[in-house]
Amino acid sequence: LAIKDTLQVINRMQADGIISQYAIGGAVGATFYIEPSATVDLDVFVEFLNRYESRLVSLSPIYEYLKSRGCIAEGEYIVIGDWPVQFLPTADDLDREAMEQAIQTDVDGVPTRIIGAEHLIAIALRTGRSKDRSRIIQFFEQASIDSGKLQGILQRFGLMEKWRKFRAKIDE
Amino acid sequence: MSEQTRKKLAALPFSEKLKMLEKLRARELSIAKTREKLKAQRETQK
Repeated sequence: LAIKDTLQVINRMQADGIISQYAIGGAVGATFYIEPSATVDLDVFVEFLNRYESRLVSLSPIYEYLKSRGCIAEGEYIVIGDWPVQFLPTADDLDREAMEQAIQTDVDGVPTRIIGAEHLIAIALRTGRSKDRSRIIQFFEQASIDSGKLQGILQRFGLMEKWRKFRAKIDE
Repeated sequence: MSEQTRKKLAALPFSEKLKMLEKLRARELSIAKTREKLKAQRETQK
């Protein structure tokens, strides 16, 4: 099954009221802007109907809904179609803004939402693994980044120091 | 892969890039499966 089949299941879950909104992040989200790179999972940021409960939210309604439709939980993932999906409840204001400003698009006619490039960079910077840093570099090489927007995000969410350190390291 | 080729790849439509990503993923999973199989074979030969 292709990724669009996985997205169809997530869209149905949203239509059924289990989640209020979602947006794709991680490597699959980045693929909207940059060259595709191998990944084994799909990262999906989710928001629930009462957004203020998201901080303490349990993913069990998602898991129960999907398990009743034949999906299998594997550790931090639940396999939908062929794809292990990691659902990430919006954890802070950066996630929430990224969710609000996500881009509406479609995959072969299946509607979906992708986190904006500047927010993906900020989230990658916050996460800070080696693959996240490489992805940030790819964004600057291959995508058109609104540097004013990025600066605003980094300032609003306290990431300027991390950004300076990241820049210093790649300028070495 | 040259930088120009990578930029061309980046400029492809999202659906097309996802199909490539799916192929890359299938290849990675197949390699991992073969590795596991070989490892299991080595274990049984010990």
